[in-house]
Amino acid sequence: MNADRLIKFELARLNAHLPERRISLKEALSLTRPQLPTRDGGVHSFKRKELELLAKLLPEADWEKLQLPIFIALEPKLGRGAAKVRGEIEAKVAAKLLGKETAGELLIYRPEVALLRRKIPTTTQYLFVW
Amino acid sequence: MATALAVSPTRMELMKLRKRLGLAQRGHDLLEEKMDALVIEFFEVFRKIQESRTKALEQLSIAHSTLSNCFAVMGTLETVQAARETKRELQIEISSRYLMGISIPAVEFGDVQRNALTRGYSLHMTSSVLDEAAREFERALGLLVELAETEAVAFAIARELEKTKRRVNALEYILIPRLKGALKFIVMRLDEMERENFTRLKRIKAIIEEHK
Amino acid sequence: MSFKIAVIGDKDTTTGMALAGATYAHVHAAKDETLAKLNEFLTSDEIGLIFVTHRVAEELGFEFRQMMRAKRLLPLVLRIPDKTRYVPKVDELQETIKRTVGAEIVVKKEGE
Repeated sequence: MNADRLIKFELARLNAHLPERRISLKEALSLTRPQLPTRDGGVHSFKRKELELLAKLLPEADWEKLQLPIFIALEPKLGRGAAKVRGEIEAKVAAKLLGKETAGELLIYRPEVALLRRKIPTTTQYLFVW
Repeated sequence: MATALAVSPTRMELMKLRKRLGLAQRGHDLLEEKMDALVIEFFEVFRKIQESRTKALEQLSIAHSTLSNCFAVMGTLETVQAARETKRELQIEISSRYLMGISIPAVEFGDVQRNALTRGYSLHMTSSVLDEAAREFERALGLLVELAETEAVAFAIARELEKTKRRVNALEYILIPRLKGALKFIVMRLDEMERENFTRLKRIKAIIEEHK
Repeated sequence: MSFKIAVIGDKDTTTGMALAGATYAHVHAAKDETLAKLNEFLTSDEIGLIFVTHRVAEELGFEFRQMMRAKRLLPLVLRIPDKTRYVPKVDELQETIKRTVGAEIVVKKEGE
């Protein structure tokens, strides 16, 4: 049973880095120090230049709708090597960064995940789903 | 090799085992996803290190050249003395960031660059080659601090990656096969007992019929 | 939190770093003495970063590697070349990659 406890512990740890809540791009832009408290008691900061990049890619009307950080969802159901960007606006801006077309949710593959993480490392986060 | 778990062949056990197997498989699949994500992050940091290293080491080399020059022009003793007199209270700010369960350091430092007047050594006994050497070393120091941070991040990710890989392997090659083996055993035994029961009931029925 | 910088190496390295503002410096002469100094730096609450030259790290050998394995997150330790530019053949990072990813990776510069 020790193994079971260890597995549950590891699962609990997976999403511990996530912020307790998300904020819109609009709100983030307005803060002098755009950051959020994380579940494990830390602080996650957004880099201003990433916020500005996102703002450039979206019409101002969408700034309120874009929730940050953008989640790159890793779900075993999708199969290894595949990830999902959830949320309509989030998917839209991610697709723009990747040079792709999109309709609703966005399904991406490992090299695209790497590219997204390279371009906007502080405004994206991995989300483990089960 | 995977050794069998000692279990009693009951339906309760069967249910419990199925749950444990489900948990183990879920854990395995998710930790595999985590491993993949860590590899992506690691390679990104690794790429940064290559760039950072080249820049920093090049600048360090330049700094050493100017220092050698300083030793030659001003004299070794005088240079070392000047270094002693310099204000040496440079501070760096180190804080912890968290990335997927790993604690990584974030390092920031105030302005490393100073000038001949603010460094602290007396201008009287020193020459401009000293100022040059100090300036080049200040520049090198800045780049090396950045490199130190990046390398620390890389090693932290690598450590977590190794740990995660070990867990995935333990689940895949030890725990899951064991659970599957135990499950198979119970199902087999339960079937057997079911058949024994069935045969016994048939015999009892036959005996009852006989006595009617 | 604020921390200071320390350096262990030859005369050139320590002099240069001191000129740049490093607070603590130790010129390496004898192995035992240097190991003791390194331990002092590693256990100091004040020091956040220690530079050690590759040559000295190699000379300190097994004990040095042990201290690196055992140490906590801070202080950070970075090995740097001295004026001879000496860098050991075994790159720890490459070794780590081989271990974790199971392959040797060579990153090409863009455009090569």
